[in-house]
Amino acid sequence: MNDRDLRQLRISPAGVRGIVGQTLTPELITDFACAFGTYVECGLVVVGRDTRTSGEMVKASVLAGLLSTGCPVVDLGICPTPIIQFMVRELSASGAIAISAGHNDARWNALGFINSSGAHLNPYQGEEVLDIYHSGEFVKRPWDSLGKVERKEGYLRTYLDRLCSFLDADAIRAAGFKVIVDACNGAAAGIVDCFCDSLGCQLIPINNEPNGRFPHDPEPRPRNASAIASIIKPVKADIGFLLSSDAGRVSIVTDIGETVSEEYTFPLVLEHFLNRKKGPIISNFSTTKTVDDIARRYGCPVIESQVGQSHSLHAMTMEDAVIAGEGSGTVAVPEFQPAFDAFLAMALILEMMAVRQKKISELLNELPRYHIVKEKIYCPPEKVHSVIAEVRKEYLRERPDLTDGVRVDWQDCWIHVRASTTEPLIRVIAESKDEQTARERADQAISIISRVI
Amino acid sequence: MPRRSSLKVGISGIRGIVGETLTPQLVTTFSEAFGTFVGPGSVIVGRDTRLSGEMMKNAVFAGLLAVGCKPIDVGISPVPSILIKTNRTDAVGAIAITASHNPVQWNALKFVGGNGLFLNRYEAQELLDTYHQSEFALVETDAHKAVARDDDPVREHFAAVLSYLDVETIRKRNFKVVFDSCNGAGSTFTPRFLEMLGCEVVGINNVPDGLFPRNPEPKPENITQLCETVKAEQADIGFAQDADADRLAIVDEQGRAIGEELTVSLAVKHVLSRKRGPVVVNLSTTAIVDRIAEEFDCPVIRTRIGEVNVAEAMIAHRAVIGGEGNGGVMVPAIHPCRDSFVGMGIVLQSLAENGNTVSELVAELPRCFMVKETVDCSTEVAHSAMTSLRKKHMRDAQVDTRDGLKITYPDGSWIHIRPSNTEAVMRLAAESPSAEKARDLTRRFTEEISSLC
Repeated sequence: MNDRDLRQLRISPAGVRGIVGQTLTPELITDFACAFGTYVECGLVVVGRDTRTSGEMVKASVLAGLLSTGCPVVDLGICPTPIIQFMVRELSASGAIAISAGHNDARWNALGFINSSGAHLNPYQGEEVLDIYHSGEFVKRPWDSLGKVERKEGYLRTYLDRLCSFLDADAIRAAGFKVIVDACNGAAAGIVDCFCDSLGCQLIPINNEPNGRFPHDPEPRPRNASAIASIIKPVKADIGFLLSSDAGRVSIVTDIGETVSEEYTFPLVLEHFLNRKKGPIISNFSTTKTVDDIARRYGCPVIESQVGQSHSLHAMTMEDAVIAGEGSGTVAVPEFQPAFDAFLAMALILEMMAVRQKKISELLNELPRYHIVKEKIYCPPEKVHSVIAEVRKEYLRERPDLTDGVRVDWQDCWIHVRASTTEPLIRVIAESKDEQTARERADQAISIISRVI
Repeated sequence: MPRRSSLKVGISGIRGIVGETLTPQLVTTFSEAFGTFVGPGSVIVGRDTRLSGEMMKNAVFAGLLAVGCKPIDVGISPVPSILIKTNRTDAVGAIAITASHNPVQWNALKFVGGNGLFLNRYEAQELLDTYHQSEFALVETDAHKAVARDDDPVREHFAAVLSYLDVETIRKRNFKVVFDSCNGAGSTFTPRFLEMLGCEVVGINNVPDGLFPRNPEPKPENITQLCETVKAEQADIGFAQDADADRLAIVDEQGRAIGEELTVSLAVKHVLSRKRGPVVVNLSTTAIVDRIAEEFDCPVIRTRIGEVNVAEAMIAHRAVIGGEGNGGVMVPAIHPCRDSFVGMGIVLQSLAENGNTVSELVAELPRCFMVKETVDCSTEVAHSAMTSLRKKHMRDAQVDTRDGLKITYPDGSWIHIRPSNTEAVMRLAAESPSAEKARDLTRRFTEEISSLC
C-alpha cells in the first residue's frame, strides 16, 4: 500500500487538517465550528479563507456551525491568514477560523483556530476545543438568537496602514525597489499589489490570480522558486519572494538568482530586527544554527519551543520574547501582532535592504551559513511512535534532547527527527558547516527509520 | 397535549425545530445525500424569510458543494418560483428551505427533482436510503464548484403566470388590493406582481424579516388584521399568503375571510368555464369542487395528501386545474405546483371578466360547511383506532383508506380522519351541505375516537 493513499486527517489543538473529498467532510468541519462557537461562548468570530476551490464548501460548513451556536460572523472572504489574525483584534472579536492548509498541496484544506488576541489557540485553549468537540455537546441556539453573517470589505487598507506605520516606510519608498512576488495563486494574490504600492515598490507579479489553482506546491522552498529565479536577473529585480497559500510563510530569491532556503528568512529578519529591539528569541529544535549565532552576536537568549505555530506563539507570549520564527519561513513580531506574517517578514527585509543600502545577496553573504538537509519519510500514523522510539534508542549514547522528537547535537552537526503534526510524515533535518557531514548524518537517521517502517 | 418528536424525516423532506433537532450537521448530511441522488449539476437553493434561513442555507451549500453540485443561490424566494425555475432551467434539482405554514421556530428542507416537482414517494425513499447508508459521492478539490447567485428568483415564474392570464382585462379594472405576506417570502414579490396587473396595492406584514406577526397558516382566525384593513381601505379584495407563498386565502370586499377552501373552488370554477378538463384535488379538499365540476361535466380525481401526489395525478390525467383545499391552487398549464400568485391572478381575472365583487362570486358557489376538530390520541393506539373505525363504518358508507380514513355518505357528507404527525392527536375534517350535519358528524366521531384512544 502506498502510504500516500492513507486516509489523512490531522487534528491538533491549533486546528484540523485533512484531504477534501476523503477525511475533511462538511460534517466534521461543522462539528469543529460548533465546538469553536461553543468555546467562544457565542462571541464574534472572524472567518476568512485562502483561494483553494474547496474553500467555499469549507466556509459554508464553518458558517453553518458558527451561526447555529449563536456566533455573529464577520466574513472577510478570501484573505491571508495574518490579516485574518490582525482583524480579530481590530474588530475586538472573540476569535477567528482561518480556512487554509497553508503549505499543503491543493488536495488539502484546514481550519486554523485563532484566539481573541489574534494568535493560534495556545495548547490549553486548543485542548478545550477538542474536549468540546469530542463531547459533542454544542450550544444550540433557538431560531431567534442565531448568529448573522456580515461581509466585510476594505479592511486591507487598515492592515497596510498599520504595517507601514510599524516600519520606516519612507526609507523603503525612497529605495524604489523592484520586487518579484510569487503568490502561488493563493490568498495573497492580488493583495501583493497593494502591499508593494504602499511601500513604493515596483511589483513584478507571478501567479497572482486568486483562483486556487496552484502552479506548484504552495510551500516556500527553493524547488518551488524556479519561476522567480529564471526571471530575476533579466528583469533586474532587487529581490524575489515566494509565499505559501495563506501568506504565513515566505522564502527569498536573491538579485543574482539564488533560491535561498526558507531557513534563512527568519535569520535575516532577526539580524535586522535585533538592532531595533533586543530580548528573548523563540526558535525551535528544527531551526538553523544561524539563529543562535546571530542571537549571540546581539547578546539575546534563544528559547527553543516545540515545532508548530501554536507552540511557538505560545512560548513567545510566555517568555515575553521580542520575535519568534521557524525554519519553515515564518516570522512573528509580537509588538506588531502575535502571528506568523509573511507581509511583515517581507517588509522587514525590504527595510533592512533600504536602511543598510545593500543588495539582498550581500546581506545573505554576511550571515553565518550552514548546509541543511531536510528530508521527509512517509510513515503510517500508527507506526510514528515506534519509529521515534527506535530513533531515540539508537541515539541514546549521544544524550539526545527529547522535548520534541529526537534532537542530537554534535560539535560539527546537529540532527532533529520528529513526527510532522500536519501530515503522516517523519521529518529529518540535519545541519552542518560541511555539506557531506549533514548528508551523512541525515542518511544515518533515515536508515534507522526505514528499518522500522 | 404531548408533542411528538420535533424532527420529521419523511417523504416530504426533513422538518424540525432549530436549536433542538434540526442541526446544521443533519441539514448538511441530507444535502450531501440529495446531491448524491441528483448527481453533480446545478441545484437551485431558495428560502423563506425565517431567521434560521441563513444558517440552514450555509449548511445546504456545504453539503451540495462537498458532492460536486453547483448551488444556485436565489435567496429569499416563493416556493412556486423555485419549482418553476428548476423546471425551466437546466438545474438537476432544488432545495427549498422553508417550513411553509409551520410556526417560526421550525424550518425544513424540501427536495425538488429536475422536473420542478417535489420528490415523489419512490424518489424520496431512495434519497432516504442514500442518507441512511451514508454513501455520499464526495469529490476532491478539483471537482469543487463555487456558489452562483441568481438575483431574480421570480423571473421564469412571473413570465409564465402573466402569459397565462388576460392581463389587459385585469388591468382595466384597477383593483384595489390589500395583501398580507406574513413577513414571508411573498413580502416583496407580491406587490411587484399585483402592480403588473394594474392594481393599487396596500401591503401589511410585508417586511421580509421572518418575524411572523401572525400564525403563517392563512386560516380565517389568523388573518383578522387583513380583514380589518380591507374594510378600512375599502379595497376590492384581500389576499393572505403563508410564509413560502404557495397557499392563498381570500378576503371579500366587505372584509370577510371567505375560507381557504374557497380559494381552490373559485379557481376551479373560473378555469373550467374557459376550458373543460379533469380536476385533481386531494382527499381533504371541499366537495364544492365536485359540485362545480359536475356543472361542467368534468371528472374529479382525488389523491392522497401531499402536493406531489396531486401534481403527479394532474400530469397523468391531463388535468386543467386542481390543488388543495388549504388554499393551494395548481394550474398545470403553468406548472403543477401550489402557487398563490396564479391563484391571485385567476380570481382577479374572474372578477374582471364578470364585473362583479368577491362576495357575489362566492354567493354563486354551491354551499358546503366544513368543521375541523382535533382529538387526543396517542401514537400507540392510532392505528388500531383507525382499523376499528374502518370496520365499523365500511357497510353504510364509502370508505377510502389511501390516506387515513375518509368516509363519504350517499348525501355527499364526508368525514376525513388522520393521525397528526406533529402532535399526538387525530385530525378530523367533516363537510356537509348542512352545517348542522357537519357538526353532528364531527361530534359523533370525536366521541367514538375518544372511546377508542
